[in-house]
Amino acid sequence: MSDRLFPAQEIGSLAKPRWQLLGQRGEPLDAKARAEFVEADRRLGLGADLPSARDALLADRARELGADGVRDLGALFALRYLEAAGLDRVYDGEARRIEMYEYPIRQMHGFRFQGHVRSFDNKYYLKAAVTDEIRLEHPYHLEEYDFVKRHAHGEPKLPITGPYTLADWSYNEYYLARQPGWKGRSARRAAQREFVVDLARRALRPTIQALVERGCRVIQIDEPAAGTHPDEAALVVEGFNAATEGIDAEFSMHICYSDYRALLPELLEAKRCRQWAWEFANRDSTGHDGYEVLSALREYGDTRQIGLGVVDVHRDEVEAPELVADRIRRASGYLGDPHRIWVNPDCGLRTRSLPVARAKLEAVVAGATLARSAIENPRR
Amino acid sequence: MIVRTGLTGPFPRPEALIAATRDLDRGRVGTESVEESFRATESEVLALEQRLGFDTRSAGYLRWQDLFRPYAESWEGVAVGPLTRWLETNTFFRQPILLEPPGRTPGALVARLPPPLRAAPASAAVLFPGPYTFAEVAENRSGEADEAIVHRIGRILADEVRELTGAGYRTFLFSDPYLVVRPPRGPTAEAVVAGYQAIRGALNGGTSLVWTYGADAVGAFPLLDRLPVSAVGVDLADTDVERLPSATASPGLGLGVLDPRTTLAEDPAEVARVVRLANERRRPSVIWLGPGGPLDLLPWEPATRKLHVLAAVRQALGAGGPA
Repeated sequence: MSDRLFPAQEIGSLAKPRWQLLGQRGEPLDAKARAEFVEADRRLGLGADLPSARDALLADRARELGADGVRDLGALFALRYLEAAGLDRVYDGEARRIEMYEYPIRQMHGFRFQGHVRSFDNKYYLKAAVTDEIRLEHPYHLEEYDFVKRHAHGEPKLPITGPYTLADWSYNEYYLARQPGWKGRSARRAAQREFVVDLARRALRPTIQALVERGCRVIQIDEPAAGTHPDEAALVVEGFNAATEGIDAEFSMHICYSDYRALLPELLEAKRCRQWAWEFANRDSTGHDGYEVLSALREYGDTRQIGLGVVDVHRDEVEAPELVADRIRRASGYLGDPHRIWVNPDCGLRTRSLPVARAKLEAVVAGATLARSAIENPRR
Repeated sequence: MIVRTGLTGPFPRPEALIAATRDLDRGRVGTESVEESFRATESEVLALEQRLGFDTRSAGYLRWQDLFRPYAESWEGVAVGPLTRWLETNTFFRQPILLEPPGRTPGALVARLPPPLRAAPASAAVLFPGPYTFAEVAENRSGEADEAIVHRIGRILADEVRELTGAGYRTFLFSDPYLVVRPPRGPTAEAVVAGYQAIRGALNGGTSLVWTYGADAVGAFPLLDRLPVSAVGVDLADTDVERLPSATASPGLGLGVLDPRTTLAEDPAEVARVVRLANERRRPSVIWLGPGGPLDLLPWEPATRKLHVLAAVRQALGAGGPA
């Protein structure tokens, strides 16, 4: 834990700048992308770390630089962007990842992609089925972590999709087929348990182990699906515990847009989880205290750190630092201990434009400063 | 055993149509090009339903963005609200917001039905949200009590049915999962019954199916048995067939025998065994077989494979072709 009150961290992905998207495709920068890149370089000093990549992109030699070279620049940009906002824990904004499901699944044997499913309207996602025994082909996220470690000024915190979410977002064929008789609720549940635990043991744990061996100390396990089936909270925990078993690192669990009370007390059995990184700001509005749910942790006597979502990632309106400070103050009251609080956005900021995301991150840091000052200098 | 088969909700879009709708959103193609893709896919679904001997046709309801949208967009006093998670799935719908007690707009719904159904209404299954489910998912700012809203929506749906029967439609499918997910009690349960009574009064000899899914239906049977409808469907992926309340005779029974939560295709012989068990317990006049929940939780290919299972089950039951 940081020495000062209310240290700040990122929580996940950032939008990719236009120059990165064009560059990855080997296309020359248009005027807008070029202006944004020049400004990013001026402000964040990208050329200091990657001068030849910077020069190649500016000289419209993206094809020569290659997609990976452009992604290096994208990762460095996100890292410096987060550091410049004043965060204590940073990563690369998931600049190399397309999304949080398909990439990890493609690193494993035993899955077959089935096609796209509609999420809503004309938005779709690709979904795989587990059709065979799971085997990790390669531990993943290693190269991206190496890059971050090499370049970060702050402490890196690596996000990785958790086993429960990977299983929930997949179809279960292999394990369900092994259940005898009618594939009803109890068969489905038993099959899902096997699936989650196998994913955790055979894919997540070796990957996390490899990351830790490379020096990764702080790892956020993302379980956005945790709230989809509240009666499976124990399975979320079983997956988390299996994925982290015997590994010495600082783990947190990110959950969002869920009824946290419905996951308690089962969730509290996540043994090596040191921090709950949850979304709150989205549910905090006039007349509804989004932080009141924290009192449930106090009722259960849970004393872990909280990664406190203090800005909503689904609205462009930027929260005032005073509102952020008020949210921190209320959360401190419900927890009964301000020293357990880290502050962060509710979730990844990738749905916001980079200027809006930056303003929101700055609001996080400024709000934390206000809240800290109010506690350290109560007479002011 | 009299057996009927058919789709019980939207069918998934195939990859080509997905690509077309994505291109539309990105401004790469015009609406005419996407319209062509919709027409071609509707024809494909219709042909599949015919080939597999289904008793009703849906054409997939591919254009509907969610179960509630056509109603939220066409009914007076209703606004289209925020994205909301659909049951325990990773799909979302726009929450209807009742700004005032809602009212229907004559002619608006029929214009939103899949065009192939409009051309052959007698074989069409018209898809509705059940009145209780619509009221449960909506945000009620109308000032009217929740149970009154349930009854009102039932009456509005009855008016929709009346208009459609006048145009030759005969089968009406009410997707009402909240009857088992969050069973209504007290005055709300009475409002549900009253709503379906209003619908029955508009059927003019047509067929009404209520389809439930998303939770174990056993505890809801005291209410389900009171619904004045042609058949009530339960999802056998969530409901243990051996716990279905026994009856010496009952009206139609719907059985959701295809699980849209897994790509694993069901074994027709095993499904037939379970259907026979259900038949013994309930002694229904007719059994409707279909997917447990909407098949659009699956991609096109596995969903299509599952539809073939329905036809195979029908054969295994010795039930022959469509009535």
